[in-house]
Amino acid sequence: MSGLKHPYVTSPTRWTVFLRTFLPWQLWRFVRINLKMIGIIRRSH
Amino acid sequence: MSRVVVLGAGVSGHTAAAFARKWLGRSDTVTVVSPKDYYNWIPSNIWVGVGLMRPEQVTFPLKPVYQRHGIEFVHGAARAIHPEGSSDDPTPHVIVTPTGGASGATVKVPYDYLINATGPRLRFDRTPGLGPEGHSHSVCTEDHAAGAARALAESVERMKRGERQQFVVGVGHGTCTCEGAAFEYIVNLEFELRSRGVRDKADILWLTNEYELGDFGMGGMHFEVGGYVTPSSVFNASLFAERGIEWVTRAHVRQVDPGLIHYETLDGAVREQRADFAMLLPPFSGVGLKAFDRNGGDITASLFQPNEFMKVDADYRPKPYEDWRAGDWPRTYQSPVYRNLFAVGIAFAPPHAISRPFTSPSGAAIAPAPPRTGMPSAMIGKAVARSVVDMIRGAEAPTRTASMAEMGAACVASAGANPLTGTAASMTVFPIVPDFDRYAPYGRDLKRTFGEIGLAGHWIKIILHHLFLYKARLRPGWSLIPE
Ligand SMILES: Cc1cc2nc3c(=O)[nH]c(=O)nc-3n(C[C@H](O)[C@H](O)[C@H](O)COP(=O)(O)OP(=O)(O)OC[C@H]3O[C@@H](n4cnc5c(N)ncnc54)[C@H](O)[C@@H]3O)c2cc1C
Repeated sequence: MSGLKHPYVTSPTRWTVFLRTFLPWQLWRFVRINLKMIGIIRRSH
Repeated sequence: MSRVVVLGAGVSGHTAAAFARKWLGRSDTVTVVSPKDYYNWIPSNIWVGVGLMRPEQVTFPLKPVYQRHGIEFVHGAARAIHPEGSSDDPTPHVIVTPTGGASGATVKVPYDYLINATGPRLRFDRTPGLGPEGHSHSVCTEDHAAGAARALAESVERMKRGERQQFVVGVGHGTCTCEGAAFEYIVNLEFELRSRGVRDKADILWLTNEYELGDFGMGGMHFEVGGYVTPSSVFNASLFAERGIEWVTRAHVRQVDPGLIHYETLDGAVREQRADFAMLLPPFSGVGLKAFDRNGGDITASLFQPNEFMKVDADYRPKPYEDWRAGDWPRTYQSPVYRNLFAVGIAFAPPHAISRPFTSPSGAAIAPAPPRTGMPSAMIGKAVARSVVDMIRGAEAPTRTASMAEMGAACVASAGANPLTGTAASMTVFPIVPDFDRYAPYGRDLKRTFGEIGLAGHWIKIILHHLFLYKARLRPGWSLIPE
């Protein structure tokens, strides 16, 4: 029997969870996300 | 000299008033009417609701700001619009009940251009027992959120004494909107319970009217990830499973009793859910403005939809869900009846639902209403302000458009507030209202629609909190900060 409560739900890997709060990676994502958002804002105004 | 009157000092009205003032000459006046004399940055109410911020940190008094910028302020609630004036005075005007004034007293506020930005009326009355005056909490206003935080602190104390607590978060009626805000609250709540060391004593349930998780009243979103086009439901379910949050979808809450929520689901099942703490958002309607012609005849039905939101330049012809088009959505927000009347933000009537509507066997409508979030509300307010200014200067018709089917939105949903361990889901979506003709088959431009969760999102959310409060205070350079 599966030990998972929701065996049919997608789960993040440990690496993905680690990256979510890993500072160097998040600094890079901060820049990328801001650029993406600025793109949307510029296209929408 | 022209008089621009804005009803409401929320995200859309405050933005419209500030830009109208900036662009108009000093001989023209800009007047804001609002029953609250302070501004509330509503997105940060989530953090008030989990006890991380105080109401004073998400609000500020409006009068000094308006005084500094030459905007007149009328402290009161608009009740009725007289777009043709009255038989003895043809000047269009609004009847306002002053806040704190003698009961029955009203004032007449004349206008040349009127922008209705009155937002939603919180319809706790649609579900017996719903809301802070009943048996559940809300985070729609800063004081509701403060009440939720107090109740949460009590629950935490109980858990520290060893008691288990059942938390239920979501929406309190089958027709609610704003699921995104409730989503932010539940993940922040879960994060807080972990931070306070009592997570093992808490059962947390998401109770929603969405057909699938991640719908958010926008019919969900699709993201390109790992070689697949993946619906938002996958990410939402994943986050809940990871955080140990259970969920019930397709639900209509019928009644809230002390400690017990009665709900039905689309399959006809009627159930009860124990709740030691419930935060359930209410359904919205318009604020119930009336309208009268010059002879005092009631013309409310020609200006407003039955849900009390104002009709603008949208296609409101009833049609099957399958037949609606992105082009049905309004572009100029001008009333089809009076050229000097506009509605912005939540106050305008959407032409139809974005999420597919469903009805339960008992006849209850169970489907999210379309959201109008902060970014589009502000952008619409700004576009309408420009149109009004241009019309004052001689333009025949509105000069600016801001269709939600042609603009995107950037949204950051907090999922836990801590500068090193917190996270937030950062999302962009383009366009907000899906356009299935232009972006078949998903309705959105997948290159511009993306989502990811991480600490960077939390930093952005914190920056936005300070940036938008700075902008709303109309401090130097405010107009350079995008909506
Ligand atoms: C808890 C919560 C969290 C949210 N988080 C986000 C988020 O993270 N991002 C996002 O984009 N959006 C978010 N939203 C949505 C966002 O708050 C709304 O989109 C936005 O406030 C809509 O702006 P508005 O001007 O239409 O209405 P409001 O901001 O509600 O303003 C309405 C104004 O009208 C006034 N008013 C009411 N009645 C009258 C009357 N009779 N006469 C005159 N004035 C009147 C009110 O006092 C108020 O000043 C959130 C909403 C909630 C409830």
